[in-house]
Amino acid sequence: MAPRGDRSSGLRLILRHPSGIAGGIVVAVFTLLAVIGPLIAPHGPFEVVYNPDHSVLRLAGPTVRAWFGTTNQGMDVFSQLLWGTRSAMLVGLLSAIGSVVIGTMIGLVAGYFGGWIDEVLMRLTDVAFGIPFLPFAMVVISITRPSLGLVILLVVSFLWRTTARVIRAQVLSLRARPFVWAARAAGAGHLRILLRHIAPNVLPLSFLYAAIGVQAGVMLEAALSFLGYGDPNAMSWGTMLNAAFQAGAMRSAWWWVLPPGLALSLFVTAIFMITRAYEELLNPRLRAI
Amino acid sequence: MTRLAQAALRRFLLLALTLWCILTIMFALFKLLPGDPTSIFVDNNMPMEMIEHQKQLWGLNDPMWLQYAHYIANMALFRFGDSFFQNQTVFEILTGKVANTCAMILPALVVSVVLGTVLGALAGWNRGGRFEQATVTTALVLHSAPSFFVGILALMVFSYQLHWLPPGGMVSLGGPEGFWPLITSRDYLLHLILPLLVLVSREITGPILLVRGAMLEIKGADFIDILRAKGLPESRILVHATRNALLPLVTYIAVMTGLLLQGQVLLEIIFAWPGIGRELVTALGDLDYPVAQGALYVMAVVILLLNLVADLLYGLIDPRSR
Repeated sequence: MAPRGDRSSGLRLILRHPSGIAGGIVVAVFTLLAVIGPLIAPHGPFEVVYNPDHSVLRLAGPTVRAWFGTTNQGMDVFSQLLWGTRSAMLVGLLSAIGSVVIGTMIGLVAGYFGGWIDEVLMRLTDVAFGIPFLPFAMVVISITRPSLGLVILLVVSFLWRTTARVIRAQVLSLRARPFVWAARAAGAGHLRILLRHIAPNVLPLSFLYAAIGVQAGVMLEAALSFLGYGDPNAMSWGTMLNAAFQAGAMRSAWWWVLPPGLALSLFVTAIFMITRAYEELLNPRLRAI
Repeated sequence: MTRLAQAALRRFLLLALTLWCILTIMFALFKLLPGDPTSIFVDNNMPMEMIEHQKQLWGLNDPMWLQYAHYIANMALFRFGDSFFQNQTVFEILTGKVANTCAMILPALVVSVVLGTVLGALAGWNRGGRFEQATVTTALVLHSAPSFFVGILALMVFSYQLHWLPPGGMVSLGGPEGFWPLITSRDYLLHLILPLLVLVSREITGPILLVRGAMLEIKGADFIDILRAKGLPESRILVHATRNALLPLVTYIAVMTGLLLQGQVLLEIIFAWPGIGRELVTALGDLDYPVAQGALYVMAVVILLLNLVADLLYGLIDPRSR
């Protein structure tokens, strides 16, 4: 585990790693697009683009009028992509925060207190591990109403389990270290030991799982939307791919299929590169491999 | 009771608990939602008495706890009832679909394990070489790529642009019928190539990394030095080492099958493969809830059983874990 001084410079250390830099730049660009994208998008996500003669600009390849071409309903692919970036980032960020907060708290409590608390929480985690996400989420969404909030909720309820297990294992080893005995001998209560002495030492791991959570959240939202279970009012990369797939654009309109698919792949790979770099920092043994 | 039997029992109880949780959530979702479940079925012109009679027949007038008990008992015994729209029991429908899913997953599993072992063994043996770098990097990148987009790309290139391979489906129209004639036909193999490639590109990462890691340890083992001292050629030593590196792979195979099944829904949609994942999507779209529930339940049971097998195998094979 990194001593305290190292932690603050974690970001700088990632940026020393070549794949960390590359991944960081890509993620930064996507984040920027998520913030300003809808402002610079020439059209709304569901807005139909017209020709000067008022006919709909349907299934047009990339042109000056529509940089990435248009869909079969005459919507601008470039604008949809920008709006979709915002949805992706929103889902990724919120589901990562939610799952890591829940997972870290459960892991901390289970690992620190042990006994029946640990037993109950870990069996709960085991149960969560047994649920197949996509089928389960599809059933839940189909009998309720699809919305971005529900998707985030489902992703969180699925992602926390890994974080909880990993954090618990870390806490189990921390709990037995001399600095925890010392704190206890000095009269610190459970809450103080947990928050002041143990939690700061598991935070690097939590950050790692937050990054993995962003990736998983974006991917799962795309998968659900692709299957047609996304929020019908929010444009996302998965929704675009779903529409393109349904319209048979794979056959004729590559400009409609490639932008959302490549954006998704690029983003997911970028996060993966960051997590690899970060893992190597946390676990120097990996560096040799 | 031996330690192992105790562990097995514990794992089995956990499996039952998980299934019970899934079923309870499903029951609650279907029950607590507003709307009358008979409304899909019942014609508006039906007399009230007949509707009541049907309700009685389906047990919809029973107290909630009794409905719940019936539900759990039926699901546990795989009695899923009849499909709302297809004139078949859910069980019949699902067995056919599971067979089709297996016809996609099992070949992918075999190829991933065999090819992954070979690549992983070579990579681990030639540690630090360019081959190792290339293999590991490619495997990791492929693994992190969204497989459903990889599938779409594969279709765009090989089916729609180059016209080398059929664009989805398990067999061409008018192809062989019946499960066995079908999966022994050349037509099926042609349809299998693309989904197989996509699945393997994602799933091969595990075997490669596992076998490579095990090889790194085994390379320094004493018995390798002895084999070398005996004058065995390097290729024979490599075979000996690989056999010993297979241990961690055995349990991983069960986990891997579970992972394959999870992503199956997406690939079956993209490749129009008539398996259980596609059936789930269709059933949900048609509001055919008995089929949808059954499909979800079967997938959960299979994944849980595989995890159980993985855990037990681990305890059996590796004495250190006891």
